Amino acid sequence: MRSLKLEEASFWYPATESPALRGVSLEVAQGEIVALVGALGAGASTLLLVAADLAPRVTGGRLAGSVARRDRSGIVLPTPWTQASGMAFTVWDEVAFGPANLGWPTHEIARQVDRALEQLELVPLAARDPTTLSGGELQRVIIAAILAMDPGLVLFDEPTAELDPDGARTLWRLIRLLAKQGKAILLATSALDALPDVADRVVWLEDGAVRAVGTPDLLADVTTCDSGLGTSVATVWRSSGLPGPYPLTVGHALQRWR
Amino acid sequence: MIPALRLDGVSFCYDTIPALADLSFAIAPGERVALLGRNGAGKSTVVRLVAGLARPDEGTVWVGDWDTRDCVPEQLAWRVGSVFQHADQQLFAATVRDDVSFGPRALGVGKREVERRTDRALEDLDLTAHAGHHPYDLSPALRKLAALAGALALEPALLVLDEPTIGLDRALRARVTRALLDRAAGSVALLVITHDLTFAAETLERGVVLDRGTLACDEPLAGLLGDATRLEPLGLVPPPVAALSAALDLPGRPVRAADAARELARVARGRPGP
Repeated sequence: MRSLKLEEASFWYPATESPALRGVSLEVAQGEIVALVGALGAGASTLLLVAADLAPRVTGGRLAGSVARRDRSGIVLPTPWTQASGMAFTVWDEVAFGPANLGWPTHEIARQVDRALEQLELVPLAARDPTTLSGGELQRVIIAAILAMDPGLVLFDEPTAELDPDGARTLWRLIRLLAKQGKAILLATSALDALPDVADRVVWLEDGAVRAVGTPDLLADVTTCDSGLGTSVATVWRSSGLPGPYPLTVGHALQRWR
Repeated sequence: MIPALRLDGVSFCYDTIPALADLSFAIAPGERVALLGRNGAGKSTVVRLVAGLARPDEGTVWVGDWDTRDCVPEQLAWRVGSVFQHADQQLFAATVRDDVSFGPRALGVGKREVERRTDRALEDLDLTAHAGHHPYDLSPALRKLAALAGALALEPALLVLDEPTIGLDRALRARVTRALLDRAAGSVALLVITHDLTFAAETLERGVVLDRGTLACDEPLAGLLGDATRLEPLGLVPPPVAALSAALDLPGRPVRAADAARELARVARGRPGP
Protein backbone atom coordinates (compact mmCIF):
# COMPACT_ATOMS: atom_id res chain seq x y z
CA MET A 1 0.00 0.00 0.00
CA ARG A 2 1.13 3.51 -0.75
CA SER A 3 2.59 5.45 2.19
CA LEU A 4 3.64 8.70 0.54
CA LYS A 5 2.64 10.31 -2.72
CA LEU A 6 3.94 13.58 -4.11
CA GLU A 7 2.35 14.98 -7.24
CA GLU A 8 4.04 17.80 -9.12
CA ALA A 9 5.43 19.11 -5.84
CA SER A 10 7.38 22.36 -6.02
CA PHE A 11 8.76 24.20 -3.04
CA TRP A 12 10.19 27.65 -2.48
CA TYR A 13 12.10 28.57 0.68
CA PRO A 14 11.15 31.95 2.19
CA ALA A 15 12.47 34.95 0.27
CA THR A 16 13.78 32.91 -2.65
CA GLU A 17 12.63 33.15 -6.23
CA SER A 18 13.85 29.90 -7.71
CA PRO A 19 12.25 26.75 -6.32
CA ALA A 20 14.27 24.19 -4.35
CA LEU A 21 11.95 21.49 -5.74
CA ARG A 22 10.48 21.59 -9.21
CA GLY A 23 7.46 19.48 -10.09
CA VAL A 24 8.55 16.33 -8.26
CA SER A 25 6.21 13.34 -8.49
CA LEU A 26 7.13 10.35 -6.36
CA GLU A 27 5.48 7.46 -4.53
CA VAL A 28 6.86 5.33 -1.73
CA ALA A 29 5.04 2.12 -0.85
CA GLN A 30 5.01 0.30 2.46
CA GLY A 31 7.94 -2.09 2.57
CA GLU A 32 9.83 -0.12 -0.06
CA ILE A 33 13.18 1.66 0.20
CA VAL A 34 13.61 4.63 -2.09
CA ALA A 35 16.97 6.42 -2.17
CA LEU A 36 17.45 10.01 -3.29
CA VAL A 37 20.82 10.76 -4.86
CA GLY A 38 22.22 13.89 -6.42
CA ALA A 39 24.88 16.56 -6.12
CA LEU A 40 24.72 18.84 -3.08
CA GLY A 41 21.88 21.31 -3.45
CA ALA A 42 19.93 19.05 -5.81
CA GLY A 43 16.93 19.08 -3.46
CA ALA A 44 17.12 15.75 -1.61
CA SER A 45 17.03 17.26 1.89
CA THR A 46 14.22 19.61 0.89
CA LEU A 47 12.21 16.71 -0.49
CA LEU A 48 12.58 14.91 2.84
CA LEU A 49 11.45 18.01 4.75
CA VAL A 50 8.40 18.24 2.51
CA ALA A 51 7.67 14.54 2.98
CA ALA A 52 7.99 14.98 6.76
CA ASP A 53 5.53 17.89 6.71
CA LEU A 54 8.24 20.18 8.08
CA ALA A 55 8.35 22.25 4.89
CA PRO A 56 6.65 24.65 4.67
CA ARG A 57 4.98 24.11 8.09
CA VAL A 58 8.19 24.77 10.08
CA THR A 59 10.58 26.20 7.48
CA GLY A 60 8.12 28.69 6.01
CA GLY A 61 8.08 29.16 2.26
CA ARG A 62 5.55 27.93 -0.27
CA LEU A 63 4.52 24.51 -1.56
CA ALA A 64 2.71 23.87 -4.83
CA GLY A 65 1.34 20.54 -5.99
CA SER A 66 0.12 17.89 -3.59
CA VAL A 67 1.63 15.71 -0.87
CA ALA A 68 -0.40 12.82 0.53
CA ARG A 69 0.76 10.80 3.54
CA ARG A 70 -0.98 7.73 4.80
CA ASP A 71 1.22 7.10 7.84
CA ARG A 72 2.76 9.06 10.65
CA SER A 73 6.30 9.94 9.55
CA GLY A 74 9.55 10.25 11.44
CA ILE A 75 12.62 12.02 10.10
CA VAL A 76 16.27 11.52 11.03
CA LEU A 77 18.18 14.71 10.22
CA PRO A 78 21.89 14.79 9.31
CA THR A 79 22.51 16.86 12.45
CA PRO A 80 21.56 14.48 15.28
CA TRP A 81 22.51 16.92 18.03
CA THR A 82 19.73 19.25 16.87
CA GLN A 83 17.22 16.47 17.42
CA ALA A 84 18.09 15.65 21.02
CA SER A 85 15.40 16.85 23.43
CA GLY A 86 18.00 18.33 25.77
CA MET A 87 15.66 17.33 28.58
CA ALA A 88 16.81 13.79 29.27
CA PHE A 89 19.52 12.68 31.69
CA THR A 90 19.79 9.18 30.25
CA VAL A 91 19.72 7.64 26.80
CA TRP A 92 16.63 5.65 27.84
CA ASP A 93 14.74 8.85 28.73
CA GLU A 94 15.87 10.53 25.52
CA VAL A 95 14.42 7.70 23.45
CA ALA A 96 11.24 7.73 25.55
CA PHE A 97 10.70 11.47 25.00
CA GLY A 98 8.92 11.07 21.64
CA PRO A 99 6.60 8.20 22.59
CA ALA A 100 5.75 9.97 25.87
CA ASN A 101 4.70 13.03 23.88
CA LEU A 102 2.39 10.86 21.81
CA GLY A 103 0.51 10.19 25.05
CA TRP A 104 1.02 6.43 24.99
CA PRO A 105 0.49 4.31 28.10
CA THR A 106 3.64 3.73 30.16
CA HIS A 107 4.00 0.03 29.35
CA GLU A 108 3.74 0.75 25.60
CA ILE A 109 6.38 3.48 25.89
CA ALA A 110 8.69 1.08 27.71
CA ARG A 111 8.11 -1.67 25.14
CA GLN A 112 8.88 0.61 22.19
CA VAL A 113 11.93 2.17 23.88
CA ASP A 114 13.42 -1.20 24.81
CA ARG A 115 12.87 -2.50 21.30
CA ALA A 116 14.42 0.56 19.66
CA LEU A 117 17.46 0.45 21.98
CA GLU A 118 17.96 -3.17 21.10
CA GLN A 119 17.62 -2.55 17.35
CA LEU A 120 20.30 0.14 17.49
CA GLU A 121 22.56 -1.90 19.81
CA LEU A 122 22.25 0.80 22.46
CA VAL A 123 21.27 -1.31 25.48
CA PRO A 124 24.75 -0.95 27.08
CA LEU A 125 24.42 2.85 26.80
CA ALA A 126 20.85 3.09 28.18
CA ALA A 127 21.92 4.72 31.46
CA ARG A 128 24.48 7.11 29.93
CA ASP A 129 24.01 10.89 29.87
CA PRO A 130 23.31 11.76 26.19
CA THR A 131 25.65 14.78 26.41
CA THR A 132 28.64 12.44 26.97
CA LEU A 133 28.11 10.41 23.79
CA SER A 134 30.27 10.45 20.67
CA GLY A 135 28.77 11.73 17.40
CA GLY A 136 28.09 8.23 16.13
CA GLU A 137 26.54 7.08 19.39
CA LEU A 138 24.25 10.11 19.45
CA GLN A 139 23.21 9.48 15.86
CA ARG A 140 22.11 5.98 16.83
CA VAL A 141 20.22 7.35 19.85
CA ILE A 142 18.30 9.77 17.64
CA ILE A 143 17.44 7.00 15.18
CA ALA A 144 16.20 4.90 18.12
CA ALA A 145 14.15 7.85 19.37
CA ILE A 146 12.46 8.19 15.98
CA LEU A 147 11.82 4.45 15.64
CA ALA A 148 10.38 4.29 19.17
CA MET A 149 7.48 6.41 17.88
CA ASP A 150 6.75 3.59 15.44
CA PRO A 151 6.40 5.74 12.32
CA GLY A 152 5.00 4.07 9.20
CA LEU A 153 7.11 6.29 6.96
CA VAL A 154 10.73 6.75 7.99
CA LEU A 155 12.77 9.51 6.37
CA PHE A 156 16.56 9.46 6.68
CA ASP A 157 18.86 12.32 5.64
CA GLU A 158 22.45 11.05 5.44
CA PRO A 159 21.84 8.52 8.21
CA THR A 160 25.38 7.10 8.19
CA ALA A 161 27.25 10.43 8.17
CA GLU A 162 28.45 10.13 11.76
CA LEU A 163 28.81 6.37 11.88
CA ASP A 164 31.93 4.25 11.63
CA PRO A 165 31.96 1.71 8.77
CA ASP A 166 30.77 -1.09 11.04
CA GLY A 167 28.00 1.10 12.46
CA ALA A 168 26.99 2.12 8.95
CA ARG A 169 26.74 -1.51 7.85
CA THR A 170 24.59 -2.31 10.87
CA LEU A 171 22.30 0.63 10.13
CA TRP A 172 21.84 -0.37 6.49
CA ARG A 173 20.87 -3.86 7.66
CA LEU A 174 18.38 -2.34 10.08
CA ILE A 175 16.86 -0.19 7.34
CA ARG A 176 16.33 -3.32 5.24
CA LEU A 177 14.73 -4.99 8.25
CA LEU A 178 12.40 -2.02 8.83
CA ALA A 179 11.24 -2.25 5.21
CA LYS A 180 10.68 -5.97 5.62
CA GLN A 181 8.47 -5.17 8.61
CA GLY A 182 6.37 -3.00 6.29
CA LYS A 183 7.73 0.49 6.88
CA ALA A 184 8.09 2.83 3.94
CA ILE A 185 11.60 4.27 3.75
CA LEU A 186 12.71 7.38 1.90
CA LEU A 187 16.35 8.32 2.34
CA ALA A 188 18.96 10.70 0.99
CA THR A 189 22.56 9.56 1.01
CA SER A 190 25.94 10.23 -0.51
CA ALA A 191 27.02 6.71 0.51
CA LEU A 192 26.34 5.50 -3.02
CA ASP A 193 28.25 2.26 -2.59
CA ALA A 194 25.77 1.05 0.02
CA LEU A 195 22.73 1.44 -2.22
CA PRO A 196 22.94 -1.67 -4.43
CA ASP A 197 22.36 -3.79 -1.31
CA VAL A 198 19.82 -1.46 0.26
CA ALA A 199 17.59 0.45 -2.15
CA ASP A 200 14.69 -0.88 -4.18
CA ARG A 201 14.58 2.28 -6.24
CA VAL A 202 16.97 5.15 -6.82
CA VAL A 203 15.75 8.65 -7.67
CA TRP A 204 18.34 10.98 -9.18
CA LEU A 205 17.60 14.61 -8.39
CA GLU A 206 19.18 17.46 -10.28
CA ASP A 207 18.40 21.13 -9.69
CA GLY A 208 15.31 20.25 -7.65
CA ALA A 209 13.78 18.03 -10.34
CA VAL A 210 13.76 14.29 -10.93
CA ARG A 211 16.33 13.52 -13.62
CA ALA A 212 16.00 9.73 -13.61
CA VAL A 213 14.39 6.92 -11.62
CA GLY A 214 15.45 3.30 -11.69
CA THR A 215 16.79 0.30 -9.83
CA PRO A 216 20.23 0.72 -8.24
CA ASP A 217 21.63 -0.27 -11.67
CA LEU A 218 21.13 3.41 -12.42
CA LEU A 219 24.34 3.97 -10.38
CA ALA A 220 26.37 2.09 -13.00
CA ASP A 221 25.06 4.17 -15.88
CA VAL A 222 27.43 6.28 -18.03
CA THR A 223 25.57 9.47 -17.17
CA THR A 224 25.52 8.87 -13.40
CA CYS A 225 29.21 7.88 -13.44
CA ASP A 226 30.09 11.05 -15.34
CA SER A 227 28.03 13.12 -12.87
CA GLY A 228 29.94 11.74 -9.87
CA LEU A 229 26.99 9.56 -8.84
CA GLY A 230 28.19 6.15 -9.98
CA THR A 231 29.26 3.54 -7.44
CA SER A 232 33.02 3.41 -6.88
CA VAL A 233 33.31 0.15 -8.82
CA ALA A 234 31.29 1.43 -11.80
CA THR A 235 33.32 4.65 -11.81
CA VAL A 236 36.67 2.80 -11.78
CA TRP A 237 35.42 0.56 -14.60
CA ARG A 238 34.38 3.55 -16.66
CA SER A 239 37.69 5.37 -16.10
CA SER A 240 39.62 2.23 -17.10
CA GLY A 241 38.13 2.50 -20.59
CA LEU A 242 36.67 -1.01 -20.45
CA PRO A 243 33.37 -1.32 -22.30
CA GLY A 244 29.99 -1.09 -20.54
CA PRO A 245 27.66 -2.03 -19.05
CA TYR A 246 29.69 -1.29 -15.95
CA PRO A 247 29.58 -3.54 -12.88
CA LEU A 248 27.76 -1.99 -9.93
CA THR A 249 29.54 -3.79 -7.11
CA VAL A 250 32.67 -5.82 -6.42
CA GLY A 251 30.57 -8.97 -6.78
CA HIS A 252 29.36 -7.94 -10.23
CA ALA A 253 32.92 -7.00 -11.23
CA LEU A 254 34.18 -10.41 -10.20
CA GLN A 255 31.52 -12.13 -12.33
CA ARG A 256 32.37 -9.92 -15.29
CA TRP A 257 36.08 -10.54 -14.84
CA ARG A 258 35.63 -14.30 -14.99
CA MET B 1 64.44 15.32 11.89
CA ILE B 2 62.03 16.38 14.67
CA PRO B 3 58.58 14.87 14.08
CA ALA B 4 55.73 17.32 13.48
CA LEU B 5 53.80 15.46 16.18
CA ARG B 6 54.79 12.87 18.72
CA LEU B 7 52.59 11.23 21.33
CA ASP B 8 54.67 9.57 23.99
CA GLY B 9 52.84 7.17 26.34
CA VAL B 10 49.72 9.34 26.44
CA SER B 11 46.80 8.43 28.70
CA PHE B 12 43.64 10.44 29.25
CA CYS B 13 40.37 9.95 31.17
CA TYR B 14 37.06 11.84 31.09
CA ASP B 15 36.39 11.82 34.85
CA THR B 16 36.55 8.11 35.44
CA ILE B 17 35.98 6.97 31.85
CA PRO B 18 39.33 6.10 30.23
CA ALA B 19 39.64 7.44 26.68
CA LEU B 20 43.31 6.83 25.81
CA ALA B 21 45.80 4.44 27.37
CA ASP B 22 49.56 4.60 26.83
CA LEU B 23 49.27 5.82 23.24
CA SER B 24 52.48 6.48 21.29
CA PHE B 25 53.02 7.41 17.66
CA ALA B 26 54.82 10.10 15.69
CA ILE B 27 54.20 11.91 12.40
CA ALA B 28 57.01 13.28 10.23
CA PRO B 29 56.71 16.56 8.29
CA GLY B 30 54.81 15.98 5.05
CA GLU B 31 53.41 12.66 6.24
CA ARG B 32 49.69 11.99 5.62
CA VAL B 33 48.16 9.98 8.43
CA ALA B 34 44.61 8.67 8.86
CA LEU B 35 43.46 8.21 12.46
CA LEU B 36 40.93 5.39 12.25
CA GLY B 37 38.77 3.32 14.58
CA ARG B 38 35.26 2.82 15.86
CA ASN B 39 33.01 5.55 17.25
CA GLY B 40 34.26 6.14 20.78
CA ALA B 41 37.76 4.68 20.15
CA GLY B 42 39.38 7.92 21.35
CA LYS B 43 40.12 9.63 18.03
CA SER B 44 38.53 13.00 18.82
CA THR B 45 40.30 12.99 22.19
CA VAL B 46 43.62 12.89 20.33
CA VAL B 47 42.56 16.02 18.42
CA ARG B 48 41.67 17.80 21.66
CA LEU B 49 45.05 16.93 23.16
CA VAL B 50 46.99 18.02 20.07
CA ALA B 51 45.09 21.31 19.87
CA GLY B 52 45.85 21.96 23.54
CA LEU B 53 42.20 21.86 24.63
CA ALA B 54 42.97 19.04 27.03
CA ARG B 55 46.13 17.92 28.83
CA PRO B 56 47.22 14.30 29.01
CA ASP B 57 46.87 12.65 32.43
CA GLU B 58 50.09 10.81 31.69
CA GLY B 59 52.68 10.96 28.94
CA THR B 60 53.55 13.85 26.64
CA VAL B 61 52.17 15.31 23.42
CA TRP B 62 54.99 16.96 21.48
CA VAL B 63 54.20 19.40 18.68
CA GLY B 64 57.61 19.81 17.05
CA ASP B 65 59.84 20.50 20.06
CA TRP B 66 57.04 21.98 22.17
CA ASP B 67 55.55 20.02 25.05
CA THR B 68 51.84 20.92 24.76
CA ARG B 69 51.61 20.89 28.55
CA ASP B 70 53.55 24.18 28.50
CA CYS B 71 51.40 25.74 25.75
CA VAL B 72 48.04 27.44 25.58
CA PRO B 73 45.91 26.82 22.46
CA GLU B 74 46.71 30.30 21.03
CA GLN B 75 50.39 29.43 21.12
CA LEU B 76 49.86 26.05 19.53
CA ALA B 77 48.03 27.74 16.66
CA TRP B 78 51.47 28.79 15.38
CA ARG B 79 52.12 25.14 14.59
CA VAL B 80 48.77 23.34 14.57
CA GLY B 81 45.72 24.10 12.45
CA SER B 82 42.76 22.10 13.69
CA VAL B 83 39.26 21.68 12.33
CA PHE B 84 36.79 20.04 14.64
CA GLN B 85 33.80 17.94 13.78
CA HIS B 86 30.85 20.13 12.79
CA ALA B 87 33.19 23.05 12.23
CA ASP B 88 30.64 24.47 9.79
CA GLN B 89 28.77 25.72 12.86
CA GLN B 90 31.76 27.54 14.30
CA LEU B 91 32.10 30.33 11.76
CA PHE B 92 31.41 33.74 13.23
CA ALA B 93 32.62 36.58 10.97
CA ALA B 94 30.43 38.60 8.61
CA THR B 95 32.17 37.35 5.46
CA VAL B 96 33.93 34.17 4.48
CA ARG B 97 37.12 36.18 3.89
CA ASP B 98 37.04 37.67 7.40
CA ASP B 99 36.51 34.24 8.87
CA VAL B 100 39.35 32.64 6.93
CA SER B 101 41.73 35.51 7.71
CA PHE B 102 40.93 35.48 11.43
CA GLY B 103 43.63 32.92 12.25
CA PRO B 104 46.60 34.66 10.61
CA ARG B 105 45.37 38.05 11.93
CA ALA B 106 45.23 36.64 15.44
CA LEU B 107 48.76 35.29 15.03
CA GLY B 108 49.82 38.86 14.32
CA VAL B 109 51.54 38.26 10.98
CA GLY B 110 51.78 41.34 8.74
CA LYS B 111 48.83 42.63 6.74
CA ARG B 112 50.25 41.61 3.38
CA GLU B 113 51.04 38.13 4.69
CA VAL B 114 47.48 37.81 6.03
CA GLU B 115 46.19 38.68 2.55
CA ARG B 116 48.48 36.19 0.86
CA ARG B 117 47.57 33.32 3.18
CA THR B 118 43.87 34.07 2.98
CA ASP B 119 43.88 34.28 -0.82
CA ARG B 120 45.79 31.05 -1.11
CA ALA B 121 43.53 29.15 1.29
CA LEU B 122 40.39 30.40 -0.48
CA GLU B 123 41.85 29.49 -3.87
CA ASP B 124 42.95 26.04 -2.76
CA LEU B 125 39.36 25.17 -1.90
CA ASP B 126 37.74 27.07 -4.80
CA LEU B 127 36.06 29.48 -2.39
CA THR B 128 37.32 32.73 -3.90
CA ALA B 129 33.94 33.46 -5.49
CA HIS B 130 32.32 33.16 -2.05
CA ALA B 131 34.84 35.35 -0.22
CA GLY B 132 32.41 38.25 0.18
CA HIS B 133 29.43 36.11 1.20
CA HIS B 134 28.14 35.73 4.72
CA PRO B 135 29.18 32.25 5.92
CA TYR B 136 25.59 31.39 6.83
CA ASP B 137 24.42 32.19 3.31
CA LEU B 138 26.52 29.25 2.15
CA SER B 139 25.37 25.64 2.21
CA PRO B 140 26.62 23.64 5.23
CA ALA B 141 29.04 21.81 2.91
CA LEU B 142 30.69 25.03 1.72
CA ARG B 143 30.76 26.32 5.30
CA LYS B 144 32.69 23.22 6.16
CA LEU B 145 35.21 24.05 3.42
CA ALA B 146 35.39 27.62 4.75
CA ALA B 147 36.31 26.26 8.20
CA LEU B 148 39.01 24.14 6.58
CA ALA B 149 40.27 27.19 4.68
CA GLY B 150 40.61 28.95 8.04
CA ALA B 151 42.96 26.21 9.23
CA LEU B 152 44.93 26.26 5.96
CA ALA B 153 45.36 30.03 6.30
CA LEU B 154 47.31 29.50 9.52
CA GLU B 155 49.90 27.74 7.34
CA PRO B 156 50.74 25.42 10.22
CA ALA B 157 53.32 22.66 10.26
CA LEU B 158 50.59 20.22 11.28
CA LEU B 159 46.94 20.03 10.21
CA VAL B 160 44.59 18.06 12.43
CA LEU B 161 41.18 17.46 10.92
CA ASP B 162 38.22 15.67 12.49
CA GLU B 163 35.92 14.13 9.86
CA PRO B 164 36.54 16.71 7.12
CA THR B 165 34.28 15.02 4.54
CA ILE B 166 30.99 14.52 6.40
CA GLY B 167 28.24 16.12 4.34
CA LEU B 168 30.42 16.64 1.25
CA ASP B 169 29.61 15.09 -2.10
CA ARG B 170 32.21 13.42 -4.31
CA ALA B 171 33.19 16.64 -6.09
CA LEU B 172 33.80 18.54 -2.85
CA ARG B 173 35.65 15.60 -1.31
CA ALA B 174 37.97 15.68 -4.33
CA ARG B 175 38.57 19.39 -3.68
CA VAL B 176 39.61 18.64 -0.10
CA THR B 177 41.89 15.83 -1.30
CA ARG B 178 43.59 18.14 -3.80
CA ALA B 179 44.12 20.91 -1.23
CA LEU B 180 45.52 18.52 1.39
CA LEU B 181 47.87 16.76 -1.04
CA ASP B 182 49.15 20.17 -2.08
CA ARG B 183 49.87 21.19 1.51
CA ALA B 184 51.50 17.88 2.34
CA ALA B 185 53.77 18.28 -0.70
CA GLY B 186 54.92 21.48 1.04
CA SER B 187 55.94 19.43 4.13
CA VAL B 188 52.77 20.00 6.15
CA ALA B 189 52.00 16.93 8.27
CA LEU B 190 48.40 15.70 8.20
CA LEU B 191 46.50 13.88 10.92
CA VAL B 192 42.97 13.20 9.69
CA ILE B 193 40.22 11.44 11.59
CA THR B 194 37.84 9.86 9.15
CA HIS B 195 35.30 7.09 8.78
CA ASP B 196 35.40 7.71 5.05
CA LEU B 197 37.93 5.11 3.97
CA THR B 198 37.48 5.98 0.30
CA PHE B 199 38.62 9.52 1.10
CA ALA B 200 41.44 8.14 3.26
CA ALA B 201 42.62 5.93 0.38
CA GLU B 202 42.67 8.87 -2.02
CA THR B 203 44.32 11.36 0.32
CA LEU B 204 46.38 9.69 3.02
CA GLU B 205 49.20 7.16 3.14
CA ARG B 206 49.43 5.72 6.62
CA GLY B 207 46.78 4.37 8.97
CA VAL B 208 46.94 4.65 12.74
CA VAL B 209 44.05 2.62 14.12
CA LEU B 210 42.76 3.03 17.67
CA ASP B 211 40.77 0.40 19.49
CA ARG B 212 39.30 1.36 22.85
CA GLY B 213 41.93 4.01 23.44
CA THR B 214 44.97 1.95 22.52
CA LEU B 215 47.02 1.63 19.35
CA ALA B 216 45.71 -1.36 17.42
CA CYS B 217 47.77 -0.93 14.28
CA ASP B 218 50.03 1.54 12.50
CA GLU B 219 50.97 0.81 8.89
CA PRO B 220 50.64 1.92 5.26
CA LEU B 221 47.01 2.23 4.13
CA ALA B 222 47.83 0.56 0.82
CA GLY B 223 48.18 -2.87 2.43
CA LEU B 224 45.71 -2.38 5.26
CA LEU B 225 42.63 -1.17 3.37
CA GLY B 226 42.29 -4.28 1.20
CA ASP B 227 42.65 -6.68 4.10
CA ALA B 228 39.09 -7.44 5.24
CA THR B 229 40.18 -10.02 7.81
CA ARG B 230 42.34 -7.54 9.68
CA LEU B 231 39.94 -4.60 9.33
CA GLU B 232 36.88 -6.49 10.57
CA PRO B 233 37.81 -6.73 14.28
CA LEU B 234 38.71 -3.02 14.23
CA GLY B 235 35.19 -2.09 13.08
CA LEU B 236 36.43 -1.19 9.59
CA VAL B 237 35.37 -2.41 6.16
CA PRO B 238 37.54 -2.30 3.02
CA PRO B 239 36.48 0.61 0.81
CA PRO B 240 35.08 -0.55 -2.58
CA VAL B 241 38.15 0.26 -4.68
CA ALA B 242 40.45 -1.65 -2.32
CA ALA B 243 37.94 -4.52 -2.25
CA LEU B 244 37.81 -4.49 -6.06
CA SER B 245 41.61 -4.62 -6.36
CA ALA B 246 41.75 -7.49 -3.90
CA ALA B 247 38.90 -9.42 -5.54
CA LEU B 248 40.41 -9.10 -9.03
CA ASP B 249 43.93 -9.49 -7.66
CA LEU B 250 45.09 -6.37 -9.50
CA PRO B 251 48.89 -5.94 -9.44
CA GLY B 252 49.99 -3.91 -6.43
CA ARG B 253 46.43 -4.04 -5.02
CA PRO B 254 45.84 -0.30 -5.62
CA VAL B 255 43.48 1.49 -3.23
CA ARG B 256 43.11 4.77 -5.16
CA ALA B 257 40.51 4.93 -7.93
CA ALA B 258 42.85 6.29 -10.60
CA ASP B 259 45.50 3.65 -9.88
CA ALA B 260 42.90 0.87 -9.88
CA ALA B 261 41.46 2.04 -13.21
CA ARG B 262 44.95 2.10 -14.72
CA GLU B 263 45.81 -1.39 -13.48
CA LEU B 264 42.44 -2.69 -14.57
CA ALA B 265 42.98 -1.34 -18.09
CA ARG B 266 46.49 -2.73 -18.23
CA VAL B 267 45.54 -6.20 -17.04
CA ALA B 268 42.51 -6.23 -19.36
CA ARG B 269 44.75 -5.46 -22.33
CA GLY B 270 46.75 -8.53 -21.36
CA ARG B 271 50.04 -6.67 -21.25
CA PRO B 272 51.29 -6.50 -17.69
CA GLY B 273 53.58 -3.54 -17.21
CA PRO B 274 57.19 -3.61 -16.09
